[in-house]
Amino acid sequence: MPGSEPIIRVDGLVKTFRSPRRHPGPLGALRTLFTREYTVKSAVDGISFNVDRGELIGYIGPNGAGKSTTIKMLTGILVPTSGELRVAGLVPWMHREENALNIGVVFGQRSQLWWDLPLIESFELVAKMYRIAPERYGRDLGRFRELLGLDEFIATPVRQLSLGQRMRGDLTAALLHDPRVVYLDEPTVGLDVVAKERIRTFIEEINRERGTTVILTTHDLADVERLCRRIILIDQGKVLYDGTVERLTASYAPDRVLVVRLASDSANDGTNERPLDLPGVEVAQREAGSIRLRFDPAVMPAPTLINEVVRRYSVSDLSILEPDLESVIRELYERRSAVP
Amino acid sequence: MTRFTLSFDLWMAGLRGTLQYRTDTFIVIVMALAFQGTGFAFIWVVLSRFGSLAGWTLGQVAFLYGLRLIVHAVAGVLTGPFFGLEQQVRTGEFDRYLVRPLSPLLQFMTQRVEISIFGDLLGGIAIFVVADQLVGLAWTPLAFAYLVLAIAGGALVEGATRILIGALSFRFLASQSLLFLGDSVFSTFANYPLTIFGGILRFLFTFAFPLAFVAYIPASVLLGRTAELQVEPLLAYLAPVVGIIWIAASVRVFDRELRNYQSAGH
Repeated sequence: MPGSEPIIRVDGLVKTFRSPRRHPGPLGALRTLFTREYTVKSAVDGISFNVDRGELIGYIGPNGAGKSTTIKMLTGILVPTSGELRVAGLVPWMHREENALNIGVVFGQRSQLWWDLPLIESFELVAKMYRIAPERYGRDLGRFRELLGLDEFIATPVRQLSLGQRMRGDLTAALLHDPRVVYLDEPTVGLDVVAKERIRTFIEEINRERGTTVILTTHDLADVERLCRRIILIDQGKVLYDGTVERLTASYAPDRVLVVRLASDSANDGTNERPLDLPGVEVAQREAGSIRLRFDPAVMPAPTLINEVVRRYSVSDLSILEPDLESVIRELYERRSAVP
Repeated sequence: MTRFTLSFDLWMAGLRGTLQYRTDTFIVIVMALAFQGTGFAFIWVVLSRFGSLAGWTLGQVAFLYGLRLIVHAVAGVLTGPFFGLEQQVRTGEFDRYLVRPLSPLLQFMTQRVEISIFGDLLGGIAIFVVADQLVGLAWTPLAFAYLVLAIAGGALVEGATRILIGALSFRFLASQSLLFLGDSVFSTFANYPLTIFGGILRFLFTFAFPLAFVAYIPASVLLGRTAELQVEPLLAYLAPVVGIIWIAASVRVFDRELRNYQSAGH
């Protein structure tokens, strides 16, 4: 929607945590108790971005990058140290209860359901909290029961649910009031392949059907590749990249890999005598009977490379690997740590 | 009003959750009765030997003791979970109350129910009823209304104290031992006529920290012993109001301290 207000505005957001300085040594603990020295750690260090309505964004980064801290500020759990932050026009921590009506939150690591009660009771309490009209509650819960297959365990106490079932329950509880924005923090963590796929399909559905804005934090890049058009990559509290997945791949990992299986797996396969000194090509990996060539298609088009390879060696099979998001991100982190 | 009914629904859910553990429920109630019973047995032994305590007869002391126990139980209806606050703040479990459309304090206080309040309530009512027979009060509607208000006011003072101490959790990540200390201050000093303690303590508990308003002043009013109080009789009648002032202040402090909440894991 061009021209409409972004639903989330983040400008120069900073969060620092202050803790008393730890002193080493036998009496260190005692000194720590009375210290007036503090160590200040910035978890989020000047992050800015906007999110439009209906976007589905992957918010990713390595452990300790500041992802959770950002999400906790966006949801109103933490008070920012400085910077501007508005979600649907509200400052989350200042207008916590109004903000809560606009958002849904799922923490994969921690359930928000009523632990000792049957799952259905959590939904009923949520309906009361958000003042959901009974007919809408009935209709939406029916839809979620069908999409997430809740019926088999809806009467079971939450503490007895499997991780996958609990997560489906948490997603339902976070979405029943039809929030404008949902924050999903590691919604697929620890789930098996089938459960992951079910959750992904559900997120996709909600985003498409209801136009819900989704901020997805995850370490599983398959989630991102499957669901997100846009990703925001953060590290050490700063935005490293903000844009489409395609552009990221194109600019950070243009190289592809040609996997060559050689006809004979004798040690003398000829690759040593006749090295490939072609422009834009390097040997990425060499094993008995196979060789991996990394090449830049802009410099060395794939057909030319294949011709050259076939001409020199006796080849039994060829395949080309496209760069996946994981290798792109690995590349990016490595490049970052190389430059101090 | 919706806030009230919602809190009630959440409290009932918290109670249903706690009652899932039946053996625990039973043991806790029996333990609470035994604990309070022992405390009262001590007073009974002392008084049967010495006849009176600072001029208070056995019946009058029992009246005070029972009243304070009822107040303690009522305070625990909402503030029982505070002993678990430090843990929830440290582990980041407190997050959940900050993303739902109701005050985090109300959500926290209703997520589970401290079962021992039922033991305290049973014990308190039993002692109070027996004491009432001993002192033989003539209950007018006005006196009864004052009793109800005094219980509410006293519960607010005790509950507010827990809220104030609990609020320290957000900054210091620890409050449990202070909460236990606070509770033992209440059970040490509020159960007995304050006249048995020194003048300084009496002054402090009346004007600095309103412990006297929890049960001692209301009991004095009901037993017609206002002459020995350090406050004007009129102020004694207004004891329930002290609870309202105290709770308003503590809720403000709690909300303010909440800003220091750091959750867990960055």
